[in-house]
Amino acid sequence: MFEALAWVAFLEASVRLGVPLALAALGETITERSGVINIGLEGSIIAGALGGALGALATGSAGTGILLGGVAGMAVAGVFAALAIGLGTDQIITGTAVTLGGLGVTGAVYQARFGVTGTALSLPTLDRWSVPVLSDIPMLGSPLFDQPPTTYLVYALGPILWYWLFRTSWGLELRAAGEAPDAARAAGVRVLKVRAVAALFGGLLAGVAGAHLALAHTGTFAENMSAGRGFIAIAVVVLGRWHPGWVVVAAMFFGAASALQFLLQAFGLDVPYQLFLALPYVLTLAALAGWVGRATAPAALALPWPRRR
Amino acid sequence: MNRIVRLLAATSAWVAVTGCGGDGGGSRGGDDEFRVALLTSGPVSDAGWYAGAYDGLMMVRDSMRARVSHQQTRTPAEFDEAFRAYGTDGYDLVFAHGFEYQDAAERAAEQFPDMTIVVSGGGRVRDNLVPLIFRLEEASYLAGMMAGGMSESGIVGMVGGVEIPPAQGTFRAFEAGAWAIDPDIEVLEAFIGNWDDVGAAKEAAVAQLRRGADVLIHNTDAASFGVFQAVREAVEAGDRAWAIGMNRDQNNIAAEVTLGSAVIKIPQAFLEAARAWETGGLRGAPLYPGSGDGVIEFVVNPAVRRRLPPELLQRLTTASAEIRAGTRNVPRVPFVEGESVN
Repeated sequence: MFEALAWVAFLEASVRLGVPLALAALGETITERSGVINIGLEGSIIAGALGGALGALATGSAGTGILLGGVAGMAVAGVFAALAIGLGTDQIITGTAVTLGGLGVTGAVYQARFGVTGTALSLPTLDRWSVPVLSDIPMLGSPLFDQPPTTYLVYALGPILWYWLFRTSWGLELRAAGEAPDAARAAGVRVLKVRAVAALFGGLLAGVAGAHLALAHTGTFAENMSAGRGFIAIAVVVLGRWHPGWVVVAAMFFGAASALQFLLQAFGLDVPYQLFLALPYVLTLAALAGWVGRATAPAALALPWPRRR
Repeated sequence: MNRIVRLLAATSAWVAVTGCGGDGGGSRGGDDEFRVALLTSGPVSDAGWYAGAYDGLMMVRDSMRARVSHQQTRTPAEFDEAFRAYGTDGYDLVFAHGFEYQDAAERAAEQFPDMTIVVSGGGRVRDNLVPLIFRLEEASYLAGMMAGGMSESGIVGMVGGVEIPPAQGTFRAFEAGAWAIDPDIEVLEAFIGNWDDVGAAKEAAVAQLRRGADVLIHNTDAASFGVFQAVREAVEAGDRAWAIGMNRDQNNIAAEVTLGSAVIKIPQAFLEAARAWETGGLRGAPLYPGSGDGVIEFVVNPAVRRRLPPELLQRLTTASAEIRAGTRNVPRVPFVEGESVN
């Protein structure tokens, strides 16, 4: 009985912690498949959290807040895309600037709106949707299928994006832009447009991830509450080998690792919790080194295109 | 092209570092002007530890007509940069609000002998480097008594940021207070590894509530919102749970589920330190503001006071008086090297 409770608590926490990572990482997967690495993801997440919070407060609806959060995340990715894709600037530098800018601007907006010393906001939160039948499965049902709708978005997007990426001609064009942009161009793919749309889509999902943090997970907003999730999501993409299905699994694995450390601490087990936090990163490094399957980044990843002469 | 990127990066970095505060004093006034600066490594919008420091800076500005500046610095490299900027600019007094500043502060104190640096929770002493050690454990002990008295499950929990002396000190005292009421009470402890991650703090709190804890205290910054939220949701779901605030009066964050707050009146402590600086009394020795000075206090939440057992409140009042009189022993952890505790 006690073990059953602990198991359910563990699974629930894993899903709760994994969902925002999965959302952001799914978007980044599409972005990276097009040959663009957006490490400004963190900026999109925090913008999504604030946009979601402000939207939900203004409209009283958490659902509207999630949508506005997505728009805010996309706007931040738009800045990145304009510079890194439009002007062909270095993607890593631009992404870093966008992250720092996102954290700074959200802080400034929050302080301007809620006072310099802050207000603990109590935001409208997304209701859980209980999936009939599935949520009654013992042990697995309520952790997986009695969740806010953003969780189901992850379940749905995994297979949808997989199909789109590997079974449609648009998906092929996107991958071509990321593997061999010159050849793709010769075949008539509008590489810059594809990359820009991919980056905006990544920003949209990162914004939804941030809004989920504020409106489905914590019910509040605080400066810096994204707390590095954008960077973890980039590691998740690597561990998931740029494959939407595996990316969802990898995100849940990262979620499980941090859920485990909180449970171990709550159950008073005296193990260094940092070890469990480090575990997924060790696996990510192993994936990069080729020890956990073959992880090959898109060939043209992070390379500005067209090359300047 | 590259110029645009560099400009953007520089602008964003500046925005991030200053938090776009707009509170930086012009700092180019006459030489007789009293210039005071505050460094925080997190946002001052945390309604807690950093917010109190910001209030303190404003109080020094208003009461002593000082020119003030605030910077948010994230990394040790930025700590050094900020101290250097203030030192070069002729600042008289810098409040570095956190244990994490002490290494950089020591270097800066050597480099700028005319600038006095006060490090909250610091551990190094020089003529112009003064640790400001809040005896927050005195209020945290009372919070522990409150938790011990209000827990029905016999389990209470603590959610902390990073395991540093200021956090450990409050947690050891909290435990001691809980055990003073009920020696059999179980005290859970979790650290989330940073101070701002609301989601992580909430999960740590949920894990403790699941484990049966029914009173939770925190020692984090903005992440504390996650602890209050977890308790609020547990109560909404029909469970019995209470939260206790820390660092600042947080009784109104979740007024219906909060028992009280272990409060540092940071503004008052800052103002007293600044006044001591003015009279030359802020040199070469740590400051230890505590409940005897009225800087540290456990504030019972007025919104729930009538739901609390009167005999528990009476015990808290008695213990509080004993702590001020020095007749009740509250555990401490050493902050300053070579400092004797108890």
